[in-house]
Amino acid sequence: MFLTILAALLLAGPPAPKYPVEAIAPALRENAHAVVRAYDEVVTVKSASQLVKSVHQVVTILGPGAGDEYGVLSVAYDDLDRLNYLRGAVYDAQGHLLHQLRPAEVHDQGLGSSGGSFMTDLRVRYADLRQPTLPYTVEFDYEITSNNTLFYPNWQPQSDENIALESATLQVTTPTTLPLRFEEQLLPAGAATAPTVAGSQTTYRWQLAARPAVEAEPLAPPLSELLPAVHLAPATFEVQGYAGSLDSWQNLGLWTYQLGKGRDVLPPALTAKMAQLLITDPDPRARARKVYEYLQSSTRYVSVQLGLGGWQTAPAQAVATGGYGDCKALSNYTCALLRAAGLPAYVALVGAGADHADVRAGFPSSQFNHAILCMPLAARGSTPADTVWLECTSQTEAFGYMGSFTGNRHALLLTPEGGRLVATPRYGAQANRQQRRTDLWLDATGNAKATVRTQRVGLAQDRYAQLLHGADPDEQKKYVANRLHLNHFTITSLRLTAPAASTPALPSVVEQLGLDLPNVATTAGRRLLVEPNLLGRLAALPAQVGPRQAPLALPAASLTQDTVRLHLPTGFKAENLPQPVQLTSAYGTYTSTCTTLPDGTLQYVRQLETRRPAGGTTLPATKYSEYQDFSRKINQADHAQVVLVANGA
Amino acid sequence: MNKHLRIVILGAAFGLPAAAMAQAPSAPVKSVTIKFGQPAPADFEAKNFVGDSAASAVVLYDFGSTRFRLNGLRFQLESDRVTRIKVLKKSGYDVATVEVPLYHQGQAEEKLTSLRGFTYNEAGGKIEKVKLDAGTTFAEERTKNVRIRKFTLPNVREGAVIEYAYTVSSDFLFNFQDWSFQREIPTRWSEFQATIPEYFDYKMVMQGYEPLALQTQEQVSAQYTAHESGGIAMSGERTSASSETIMARATSYHWAMQNVPALRDEPYMTTMRDYVARLNFELAGQRMPGQTYQNVTGSWPKINADLRASDMFGGQLGRVGFLAEALKPLIAQYPDPATRAAAVRQLIMQAVKYDGTNGYSASGPLRRSYELHRGTAADVNLLLIAALREAGLPAEPVLLSTRSHGRVNQFFPLLEQFNYVVGVLPLDEKQELLLDATDPLLPCGLLPTRCLSQVGRLVPSKEGEGRWVNLTPAQRHLHFQDIKLTLDAQGNLSGQVREEHGGYAAAPVREKLLSVGEKKYLTELAGRHSGWEVPTYKFSAINDPAKTLSLSYELRQAASTTSSAQELYINPLAAFVEAQNPFRDEKRKYPVDFGSLRQDVLVLTLTLPAGYAAELPKPTTLTLPDNGGRYLYSATSPTPGTVQFVSRLTLDKPVYGAEEYGSLREFYRLALAKQAEALVLRKQ
Repeated sequence: MFLTILAALLLAGPPAPKYPVEAIAPALRENAHAVVRAYDEVVTVKSASQLVKSVHQVVTILGPGAGDEYGVLSVAYDDLDRLNYLRGAVYDAQGHLLHQLRPAEVHDQGLGSSGGSFMTDLRVRYADLRQPTLPYTVEFDYEITSNNTLFYPNWQPQSDENIALESATLQVTTPTTLPLRFEEQLLPAGAATAPTVAGSQTTYRWQLAARPAVEAEPLAPPLSELLPAVHLAPATFEVQGYAGSLDSWQNLGLWTYQLGKGRDVLPPALTAKMAQLLITDPDPRARARKVYEYLQSSTRYVSVQLGLGGWQTAPAQAVATGGYGDCKALSNYTCALLRAAGLPAYVALVGAGADHADVRAGFPSSQFNHAILCMPLAARGSTPADTVWLECTSQTEAFGYMGSFTGNRHALLLTPEGGRLVATPRYGAQANRQQRRTDLWLDATGNAKATVRTQRVGLAQDRYAQLLHGADPDEQKKYVANRLHLNHFTITSLRLTAPAASTPALPSVVEQLGLDLPNVATTAGRRLLVEPNLLGRLAALPAQVGPRQAPLALPAASLTQDTVRLHLPTGFKAENLPQPVQLTSAYGTYTSTCTTLPDGTLQYVRQLETRRPAGGTTLPATKYSEYQDFSRKINQADHAQVVLVANGA
Repeated sequence: MNKHLRIVILGAAFGLPAAAMAQAPSAPVKSVTIKFGQPAPADFEAKNFVGDSAASAVVLYDFGSTRFRLNGLRFQLESDRVTRIKVLKKSGYDVATVEVPLYHQGQAEEKLTSLRGFTYNEAGGKIEKVKLDAGTTFAEERTKNVRIRKFTLPNVREGAVIEYAYTVSSDFLFNFQDWSFQREIPTRWSEFQATIPEYFDYKMVMQGYEPLALQTQEQVSAQYTAHESGGIAMSGERTSASSETIMARATSYHWAMQNVPALRDEPYMTTMRDYVARLNFELAGQRMPGQTYQNVTGSWPKINADLRASDMFGGQLGRVGFLAEALKPLIAQYPDPATRAAAVRQLIMQAVKYDGTNGYSASGPLRRSYELHRGTAADVNLLLIAALREAGLPAEPVLLSTRSHGRVNQFFPLLEQFNYVVGVLPLDEKQELLLDATDPLLPCGLLPTRCLSQVGRLVPSKEGEGRWVNLTPAQRHLHFQDIKLTLDAQGNLSGQVREEHGGYAAAPVREKLLSVGEKKYLTELAGRHSGWEVPTYKFSAINDPAKTLSLSYELRQAASTTSSAQELYINPLAAFVEAQNPFRDEKRKYPVDFGSLRQDVLVLTLTLPAGYAAELPKPTTLTLPDNGGRYLYSATSPTPGTVQFVSRLTLDKPVYGAEEYGSLREFYRLALAKQAEALVLRKQ
């Protein structure tokens, strides 16, 4: 007996090394700043209203930058979640335990006003196991019980560049009566295992092994869309007593619609005020505009996200009283205002943001982060039927304009009959254009004064509209100055204005700029060299290193026009002018010409219209060199030089 | 007129003779007052805001007052605040959302009470008044010791006037709140009052670039009522509740600023905290009735003695016996103090990683940090100092304030001004080595850029004053390029570049290299220039901060046009120098603070195509006033068929005053213009 214990003690000895660095295959170390040794996620659906997610993650840090990302663990949670445990340990290169995380080393912090929220229950718990000596391996284990089953976790064990993956598994166990819905993204063969049934439970399994590190490439879709993933969603769910079904867009829409039911009651005086518009403004579009103006002048965006309040709108009454609300509350409120004015409209959910991927339409699930309003207008006399989209959180947005924040994508309409996925407005090259006229008065020493008038329309004006409405003159000047690629200049005047829209629902911003440009022309003996395309040069595309891997993702179609009048110093004439350039490709057309006007002024005219060739927003990787060639030729043409020479020289 | 930084030392509650107290300005200023809850019609007249067209909102009135009261038998701070703001534009709506941080520790907590607020809007010639619903306020546990109370005013529209008032009570007498007279929007009137009884000695420091409109102080008498609640005494006797009123002398202070401009962010600043017009309070001592004066801070010898006695500072410096074994071979191997110090620093850096937290006091026993392999700046550097001493090197701690923490006021022996500690090791009469082990990318003797805040304070190991230590580094921010290019008759360029980053220029490049890798670094470098190809490259000393970081690469650039001309204009320097003047603004209000001196040198040798001759640009020398810096440019032809350019830009000050800004900007303009000058090549 005694001997057995002794033997057991001896056998136990020092713990066996875990995850030694030398066990990593050389191919996985190539180009890797870190190697994910294991990422094992287990999701257990307890009921329609509760799931438990546990994660075991082990990462070897090879490069110092990776430690900040993978040597530290941050787990976000809110009032609908409970973080059951967070454990950690760190090992040296040989795999010997360096330190076991103690509870006192786990920190907790409210996220406060970050992310634009006035109040949120979102918090983060984090632990730091970074080490002074590389390489080292961190191991974290945590488990969350979530009472918000509207969202199931996603699984993407490799999501960053320069990170290799050794092994990852995903296991989801759910009552067979609550079937799992999932969408596999770019999984290699053999990654999925057929589900198994044991008693009342069904278990789904996926695994990934040995994936070398990848690198992000320019003009490519985000890596999250290019790496394997499994997206999960429930078929039926329940949040805070609100049960719903996610098997179709219709049902997700229905659930959300019902969540807001009865919350659209306005104070009677306000209802009456809106009803009055029916008499004063019989034209529906004009009336809707009045309602929108009223909204913009009397409310502001203040975000409060607490518990179910992250998905359920605040009552319209509360917005009427306080004059503020978040996107759901303001859209719901505006919907109520419009209805009172005899204009039916629908709240729509959308994934907002210039870089937000469009909805994965084939996989109904909660993919949205914003609410907007959609108002159908019936045909009236000679006016055809139309749909007006309204952004209700902005006090300055043009009536009916969505822009790069919510345009060119799909939104989920919330109707009494359920959800319907529809397209928001499309913005092509004409709705993303910039027209500029520059007058440059050059003196004999190469200094110049310039006036520049730039009109931007549609998507091209989005940031300038924000600048106009949201920034003071000093900030505007700083912004504009930071985008002038000139080696030295002084802004003598700057004025931003928003002229009335010439095209409905397509706002524009005009920038009028005065510049002092010392040494804008280079002196070379008696000659002056100047590049007339002062402000509109296309930046060079980075050179491709090695074969292109990622598909080519092109920016939105655009139209850019520049006219530069170059007023010569007295006694100077052009010695040579750049040849006209005309370039045509599948990606757009480019022309530039430089001519002498009758009064001796030089006129440079440049136009670039870019487009996305048919075939969606991304193109095969092989197209990159073609596109790069096109942009390189433009860049070269944009540096065309005029040589001026003093008369009699 | 140039404005200079004002650091005015105001009178303390006692201890300073009356003559030392600053005088109120000569022209009497009419105090602004408001009636809370009653809108002023003038606030709704457009003509009163004509001058504010640039502002999104204007603070009309901001009033704070802090007094003392007794809570039971303990003194508490009680502070009122009343603020009224005019919202001019939609972009100013954010002012309607207010956050009040409240500190708590153990049972003691700061409390916010009597919150009230109103929004006034003009509608149809009448002023509508809407009340803040106190039920719509939120509390958030931001961190372990800080709770945030937040509220937002209702019905905020363009032209609205909002006002709010609240009271904060605090048991933390050391946490006497600073008063900022300035914000990111203009302020019409900002006023602060404090009534401080004779029991407390607060040091008051005024900083910023704005003048006071009002400044008075008077002796008053104050009453404080102590309440004792009833209960059962130890003896078992029942005691009844009692209260007693004490009379005390107190000083009532009063400060105000009028028409304070908005605070602006500018490049090359340390932290906005250094520039805002603000009044700081620091508890220096207290003398309770019937007790002697208790110095809380006071003098350098006292601070030094406290630090030496502190368990988390001096107490830790002698407790590193656990390092003795590891240090032994270093002592034997490196007899020279500087080399030994570098070896000890290396040992500490390999053992303990800086976690990004700053401080001058250890977060716990140094042994624990050593075992954890991680620690705050104080843990790492106190461990370094202790290890140096253990290795027989007489290192001393130097307290400093990081650039983001703000400037140190040398007039005041205040510990709270500091947030960091480094070590200093005297080498000989003239030289001393400043030591920090938080950044392995820096060589021994170079402090991290965050520490470059002009002065630090040495805490001597024996009794004494200590001294100020100059933190301005002798090492510069050094960038050197040696470029050899050959131009052919078609306009194609090819050649070799050797680029060196030394001193303060090296660490950021090393950091970037280690995070993105050599290949990506090169791709980015080449990508900045149209048509550049870099077939081969080689880095050296990436992982050896003691050496200069150098990069050699081969370069090819195809001609942009194919025609071969009689005359060629080329701009060989353009790709290798700064493309833009870093000083874009015409004017500057605050000093330009680089932290270290700088030098950028470029030597470019160009071999011309056969049969071409060059017209050489003229040489130039530029100087900054007051020996602030120099720029040299020359183009020569050392051998026929070659041109050699030398461009050398030197900045000899770490900080340039706002009044020097104009010449600094012009200096850069002229240097850049010279670098952009074209070289004319003619066919012979």
